[in-house]
This record gives sequence, structure tokens and C-alpha cells, in this order.
Amino acid sequence: MVIVVFLCLLILAPFPSSLGLWPIPRGLSAGTATVKLSSSFDIHVAFNNVPADLDDAIHRIKTHLKTDTFERLVVGRGSADANSVHRAFSIKDLTLSLTQNVTIRPVAVEVNTVGIEDRDESYILTIPAKGTQATLVANSTLGLFRGLSTFDFMWYHFDGEKYILNAPLRITDSPAFPYRGFSFDTSRNFYPVSDIKRTLDAMSWVKLNVLYWHIADSQAFPLQVAAFPELAARGAYSQEEIYTESDIKSVVKYANERGIDVVMELDTPGHTTAIGMAHPEHIACFAKSPWTKYANEPPAGQLRIASADTVNFAKKLFQSAIDLLDGTMMSSGGDEVNLPCWNEDEDTLAALEQNNQTIAQALDQFVQEVQGVMNANGKMPFIKSDMVLEHNVTVLNNTGVVVWKSSLDAVSVAQRGLRFIHQPSNYFYLDCGAGDWVGNNVLGNSWCDPFKTWQRAYSFDPYANLTTDQQHLVLGGQMPIWSEQSSSENLDQIVWPRLAAGAEVFWTGATLPDGNPRLGVNATSGVNAFARLNEVRYRLVDRGVKAIALQPKWCALRPGLCDVDS
Amino acid sequence: MARKSAFLLLSALLSVLAPVDALWPQPRSITTGSSALRLSGGFDIVIGSVRNPPSDLHQAVDRTSGFLKNDKLERLVVGRGDVDRAAVAKAKTLSRLTLSLGKGATARSIAAEAQKAVEERDEGYVLDVPADGSGATLTANSTLGLFRGLTTFSQLWYQSGSTTYTIEAPIHIEDSPAFPYRGYMLDTARNFFPVSDIKRAIDAMSWVKINQFHWHIVDSQSFPLQVPGFLELSQKGAYSSSMVYTPQDVKDIVSYAGARGIDVLVEIDTPGHTSVISKSHPEHIACAEATPWASFANEPPAGQLRLTSDATAKFTSDLLVAVSKLFPSTMLSTGGDEINASCYAQDAETQAALNATGQTFLQALNSFTQKTHGALKKAGKTPVVWEEMVLDFNVTLSPETIALVWISSQNVKGVAQKGHKLVHAASDFFYLDCGGGGWVGANPNGNSWCDPFKTWQKAYTFDPVANLTVDEAKLVLGGQHLLWTEQSGPSNLDPISWPRAASSAELFWTGPGLNVTSVLPRLHDLSFRFQQRGVHTIPLQPLWCALRPGACDLTA
Repeated sequence: MVIVVFLCLLILAPFPSSLGLWPIPRGLSAGTATVKLSSSFDIHVAFNNVPADLDDAIHRIKTHLKTDTFERLVVGRGSADANSVHRAFSIKDLTLSLTQNVTIRPVAVEVNTVGIEDRDESYILTIPAKGTQATLVANSTLGLFRGLSTFDFMWYHFDGEKYILNAPLRITDSPAFPYRGFSFDTSRNFYPVSDIKRTLDAMSWVKLNVLYWHIADSQAFPLQVAAFPELAARGAYSQEEIYTESDIKSVVKYANERGIDVVMELDTPGHTTAIGMAHPEHIACFAKSPWTKYANEPPAGQLRIASADTVNFAKKLFQSAIDLLDGTMMSSGGDEVNLPCWNEDEDTLAALEQNNQTIAQALDQFVQEVQGVMNANGKMPFIKSDMVLEHNVTVLNNTGVVVWKSSLDAVSVAQRGLRFIHQPSNYFYLDCGAGDWVGNNVLGNSWCDPFKTWQRAYSFDPYANLTTDQQHLVLGGQMPIWSEQSSSENLDQIVWPRLAAGAEVFWTGATLPDGNPRLGVNATSGVNAFARLNEVRYRLVDRGVKAIALQPKWCALRPGLCDVDS
Repeated sequence: MARKSAFLLLSALLSVLAPVDALWPQPRSITTGSSALRLSGGFDIVIGSVRNPPSDLHQAVDRTSGFLKNDKLERLVVGRGDVDRAAVAKAKTLSRLTLSLGKGATARSIAAEAQKAVEERDEGYVLDVPADGSGATLTANSTLGLFRGLTTFSQLWYQSGSTTYTIEAPIHIEDSPAFPYRGYMLDTARNFFPVSDIKRAIDAMSWVKINQFHWHIVDSQSFPLQVPGFLELSQKGAYSSSMVYTPQDVKDIVSYAGARGIDVLVEIDTPGHTSVISKSHPEHIACAEATPWASFANEPPAGQLRLTSDATAKFTSDLLVAVSKLFPSTMLSTGGDEINASCYAQDAETQAALNATGQTFLQALNSFTQKTHGALKKAGKTPVVWEEMVLDFNVTLSPETIALVWISSQNVKGVAQKGHKLVHAASDFFYLDCGGGGWVGANPNGNSWCDPFKTWQKAYTFDPVANLTVDEAKLVLGGQHLLWTEQSGPSNLDPISWPRAASSAELFWTGPGLNVTSVLPRLHDLSFRFQQRGVHTIPLQPLWCALRPGACDLTA
């Protein structure tokens, strides 16, 4: 009887707690043997014509295996495992292979030419307990890349050795959702390219696959485009705070080679004041006061959507940005448009009268025009949820809607039959909770108080309130950082490790490898996700990403002992 | 009519207080002009009538010269430094700042001046920067005052091209702090910080004239302090053998702080918050790592000193005395917060001792404190305690004992009524760690206990003498921001601390009463200057707003 209970406990244990994988693979069987990497360990590719970006990824991993110094989070750290590491079998080789009859293409090409729902990110990784050969098999170089990311982020370091405690290991993995993103505002405050690239590196380690780049906004226009170089020349914070065309291409390439797509958002028609620095003729209510009447935050200013010149300008702007971008997706934003701004703009009123249009009709037409440019260039268009839910604009059937105001809006979007991504402010906004930033609102709070903890993000259910028939509309989701109170100075700290919570929600989905629900009373216990996320945090710090501490180190070394009920 | 004269009076006051944009804290008395003045290429700081100037004053002068060269802070205005290029090109040049001590003043080291009893430090100075290019002067009655004046001088300047200038000459400042204690507390036990982080924090503190580093050096989670005679505490209780502060590290930090006008108040929190001592001395700790932790402590792991045990009282007294020898400050904190009665109620040894002596827990706490404080007093230290020791436990404390009010600003009055000098450290205003959500596991919707996040504005609007009588107000030594580090570490030390901690630095230097809205541009300036000096301050607003004072006000 006692033995039976004991066995049940073993089976119920969701996965070995000493296996620090994030996101948790969807299929996993693990043992209890320690294996280490041989001093001559190497990674081989079992096919010819290895794409350069896959080869580069392999080299990066080999470098990490030399430079990582993360020791297992346990009292005594690596020395606690010294004996078993000493006796462990050595893995001499990881061999990568593709299933037969697939075309070998660069990772970047798998990312930037294949639609978001058509990518194959699956892989199978095996690490034997007593053999010398590890294997990684996938249907695409992108799948191999994901498998390499798993391999890259799983080893413990001690005394010159790299080891794991859970061989034999067989991981059969693929994402629950195709879209797993990070939305990055580089307008309110500027971030140098090096920050973006460091963020892309960290994103790739947790298998995020979209950088949703909110590149410009009312405060600054750092994007340099060939058709309108004056936009950045006049609208950027300074000549040094610009993303040149070569910067953009370099970021996109860097991202694509790491399995990450770049979805650029040109937020229109609101959030465009900075365009007025170079083109005042296109902007209504430019920096108009009181800003509270004309915008959600200062400075006010929106594109003159009723003006044919402005619509043409916007189309040309989108085209010029598209010319810089690889990839199959783009966004026209569309959040927080303000009606008094247009209602009090003489130019807009005159144009509406001339066109015999209402603002709603002009807005509808504007959206169709810019979506038309994206569509003509093969880009799946994205749009913010208020355009659809509050302004009821006509959108293309293949539009992806960014649900942002509230998680409750997802149902309404689903009822319209549109695909969407989850970006609810009440779960995922990384900027909430630091107080208001407008002046003389002395005791003002953040509009989306409180701070969204990783536990809060992790507890998000992508299928909440949706019918089974609506579930296929969920493309995935993303956590955003809005940068009113962030900059290069605190990027890593405000983003990491919280962003990893979103990465697991949308990779692992509803269930853990053993079929148990990912969510549940103890999902965020120190012996479950918390232990693994503490590992992620220490691994990130080890690689130079300044992730914040989630707990006192005492707790990180003793999984479960700092639970609320322990 | 009455309204008009009130308005005139107000404008007169405003012009007297017209802030030089970049100064923080705002001097208590300042007059400025509107002339441009630039530093000459050979600008020099000269130590004039100071006999035998101490080496830390020389070093402070060198650092100041370094800031003048390297800050390269462009004015926060649309167009930045370029805007002032023309005005500055024709400006007169300043070639010298001369430092002198008042008559009869002795040139002791800055550190020695900073380590005096908190109310005996002389931090006042007079700084005069003429507009006509004649030499600037800085006078004070102590090297510490000179140091404060140098700090102010280094903040007067902006950069345009290769020119370092002000547009507000002439400048005359007569300054001294409103409150003698202006602190910053760092917890290095929940997570460890290397010496380099602590030194950078000390630099930042000195730039805003903070004069007290309150070092909460050990706690239940780890014991990183190497104490001569008690090496086993850190050997068994530090997170690792590299996460320790050796006596040499402490000496280094104390001297680094001292040279920057900062005294180090170390805290050995007793009798609670001591779980980790059980790793080397289980005999001294009740309820060590007892579970469920929530019954025995405010956070895991549980564990408190056995205050009924004579051996434990002796151990604690000896430990405090040994620690006191590492720190030249006149003060030492014995903590005393969050003592958990259940821990003692369920500890057989403690209960046996209480039964044997017929003492209650409170009586035992009282006699324990008498012993430890008695030992400290013998070692020449003034004890500092958390507020519960005064308010909740009715412990007999010597009258000079200083209380830190932390649970709530509402408790200030009670402490003052008991006649103790006090330092404001209220969680509802000054806790830098609030608002980051709960950090214990299996509690997905847990919030920070002291929600919400404390903005700089919140701290800035604190009234240090609220509800106090005139006599009670005299007990207020000052105040401090505090960083508890359950959710902080070297990764985020700068952005979670700065520029917020500067708000209390100004509150307690300049005194309350400045308008929180109108000080924002100066705080931006300070924040950007910190960044130029390598401290990663968090942005308070989009740069668009920082360049346009007032444009992002709620009412703009």
C-alpha cells in the first residue's frame, strides 16, 4: 500500500524539478542519470549545404558552453553535484539532422518568407544516459534552431564541466501557438541598436519568435525611411537617436537569424505628432493644449485622415518602410484615436465636407488604404483592437488584431471571426505600476496599476471565455514595454525575467508535458514554474542580461521553501 | 488687495529661490543672475587658506575637476547644448575656484568630520561665483562644508560643444542642511551586492548630499559580514565564500564613504531576522527554519535569537561589540523589528527559561536589550532601533537611543511622544521596493505588502513635522529612503534607487515646502547628470517631456 502511494507520487510529479527548461517542452521524458559533455564535445550537422545562420547558431552555442558559469540553484551550488558529475557518462557529440525530403533553407528564410501559421518549429532532441551521441531532428532549420535553443539553455556548470541530472532525455516539442512576441516601444525613450540586439538574443533563448517594433510615436520618430528622411531628421530626439535604414536591416537580419520575425508597427492615424515636426500639413491638433482633451498623453496630434494628401503620404510612408523589411507581417496600429482632435481641426472639417464624409467614414477609408499597401506587399496586416471594437472599421479578412485594453476584449474580437494576439494590459503590460509620469499629478498612479508580476502573466489562459470553435483564432500573444518610464538604463530589469512568463504561456500552452494543466493552484509554486524561472533569471544574468531577482537567493536555492504555505 | 500683496510676496520669494536648473538638493539660500559664464580651459580649483589640507579634500577637488571635464551634460531644452552656443561664445571666463576655511577652523579630514555625531557635523558653506570672470570662492567652517560646496559647484555647469558654462551667473549660495540625518538604507542580506555596487551607491548618495549610509548588512537569509572572532557566522551563513564583506572590504567602504561626507551606520538586526546564525550557532536560535514559516516570521526563513539565554545575550553583546570596532560611526543599529511571539512561545528552551525565571517574553526582551545596549554603550556607540522597540515592546531604552519609524508615518507621533530622537523611514513614503508584486511562491495574485510603488513625488511631498508639536519636531533628525532586496540585486540597484532616493535627499536637506511640480525639471537634470556619471537612473518621463518643462503636466 505504501509502495503504491509512493509510485503514484512519482508519476504525478509533473517533471523533474532539477531540469531547468523554459519554456517547458510539450513532450518530455526524463530519467535521473547525470551526464556531462565531453571535453571534446562537438556539434555536427548530418547534411550538406548547412546555411550560414544555422552554422552561426551552432558556434554561438559552443561559445556559451565555454563561457556560461551558471551553477545549479541548490544549497552548495555545483559542489552538491560533484560526485555524480565525476562518475557521469560523457556526451561526445550532438548531431543535427533534418527529416528527409525537406528543402534546406536558412533559418532567416524560414522566418521571413513563411506565414506565421505555416512555420514548422518542431524538433526532437535526445540525450542518452549511457551513450555518447545526442541527436536533434527537425523538419526545418527553424525547428533545429529551436532545438538548439533548448540544448543551449539546459546545462549546469561546475568545475569546468557542463552537465544535466535528467538523462536519458527525450524531448518532442513544438509550440502551442505560432505567435509569441515582445512589443517594444522605442519612441517615448530611445534605445540603441545594441539594446535591441541583446533583447533579441534573450528572446531567442526562450523561443519567442516576434519582435513587434513600435518604432515611432508622438514623442519621437526615430525611423529613417528613404521616401521621407526629414521625418527622422526633424522628428527624432537627436541625430544620434535614429534607426538608419542600415540599422533596421541589421536588426531584422539579426532577429531573423535567431528565429525571430520583426513586425513593424507604424501607429496611425493617432500617435503621430512627431510627423508634424517635418510635415505639419499632415497633423491635426499638433501639440494642442490642453492635451488631455486631444490625446491620451502629451503631445496631441493625429494624421489628417480626411486629406487626400495625407492619405497618400501615409501610403508612401508604409511602402517606404516595407521596402526595408523582410517578413510577412506588419502593423498599422490604430489605438487611442481622439475625436475632438479632428472635430476641432479646420482642415479636417473642410476636407470632410468636401468629401461628404463623416470622421468614421474617413477613418474606415484610411485604414483600408494603408491595409491595401500592406496587402499588396504580401504583409499580413495587424491592427489594434479598438479600431475594430470601438470604431468598427472595415479590415481585411486576414487581419491580426492586437487585443490590448483588456483580456475581456478577446471574446468580442473572436465573435467577429478575426484572428488575434493577446496583449491585455491587465496581464501583460510590463510598464504598469510605477506611478503616473505626467507632471503635477502628484499622487497619480499608473493607469494600468498594479505592477504585472510574472505570476500574473503566467496565470493567463489564452482560451479564457472562448468557445472551442473560436480557439483557432488565437495566434498567440505578446508582452509589451511602453517606454514612458523606461530607457536603455532599465530595459533588462523591467523586461526580464517577466517576459519569459509570456514565452512559456504561448509555447507550452494549456498543458504540461505530462498532460496536466499548466495552470492550477500550484503552477507558480517554488517547486514548479518558480524554480525554473529562477533558473532563467540566473542564466540571463550569467549571460549579461540584467534580469531582476525574483526572490532572496535563499529562496532560489531552496525551491518551495518560500511558498506562501510552506 | 490682500491677494495682490500675497502674490507679490510670493513672487519675491520665488525670485530669491530661483533655482539654478541643475542643482539638487536646492540650496537653502541662493541668488542667481542671467549672465553666461564659462570655465576657462585652464580652470583650476585651488585650496587656499586651508592649513595642512587633508588628503581626502585633495581627492575631492580632483574628483570635482573630473566631473567638470567629463559630465558633458547638455541642457535639457529642445536643441540641447546648441541652443546656448551663441550666448556662451561671448561669455566671460572663470579660471579659478578658491577654497578656504573660516577663521579658527581646523582642517580635519572630511571623513573625520562626517563621522562625528550626527548633530555635530558642520555641513554649511558659502559659494560665490561672480559673473565678471573674477575668481569664485567657496568658504566653510569645516572640510565637510567645503565638500558639500564642491558638490554644489560641480552641478552648476552644462556643456555646449567643448564649452562648460552656466547661464545664471552671478551665483551666490549660502547653504546648510535643514536636517542633520539624510540617509539611504541598503539591505545586502536578501541578495548580495559586491563592493563596487556599494561604492557606486555611495558616490550617488554623495552627489545629492546624503550623509548617512544605513547598512542593513545581515538578515535571516544570509550573513555576509566577516566579524573578527565570529568568522563562523559568515563561513556558514554567507551565500558563498565570495559573497562576503571582509574587514578589509568594510574598511574600504567606510573610508570611501567618509571621504564623500558619508557616515556608515551598520545594523545587526536583533533578536529577530537572525535565522542564519543557526547555521553556525544553532544553540542561539529559536524556531530556526521552522515551518510553516508564516506562523513564525514575516518572511522565510524563521528564526530569532533566544533572548532568555544568558549565553545568547553574551554572544549577541560580544558580536555587537566586535562589529562596532569595524565602524567608526557614533551609532550602531540593533534593529528590533518584527519580533515574532509564536517563535518563542513554541521554543521549549525559551519557555523553560521563562518558567524558571518567572519572566514574561517582554521582560526577557527588556533585559536582553539592556545587556546588548549596555555593551554597545561601553563601546561608545549610540544605539539605533526600529520603532517597535519603542512603541510595541515597551523596552527600557536609554534616552539618547534613536528610533527608525518604518511601519507607518502615522507612528511618528507616538515615538516623539516617548521623547526619542527619530529618523523618518516610513514604508508608506520611503520604501523603494514596494509595488513589485509578491515574491513568495504559489501566490499568483499576491501583491507587495506595501503596495503601491512609492513614486518620487510621494516621498517628496512628505511632511517631516506633520502632527508634531514644536518640541516634538526637534526630535526629528531627518529621514531616508530604504531598499529591501528580496526582489533586487546588482542587476537593478541603480534603476530601483535612482533618481527616487534623491527626493528624500532634497526634502531633508532643503526642508519641506518646495512645489513638487516645479522641481521636476531639476530632477530631470540630476537624473541625466547621474547617467553621465555612470549611474543607471530610470527615466521619469519621455525625453520629449524632459526637454519641455511643464508640457507634460496634467494641466498643460
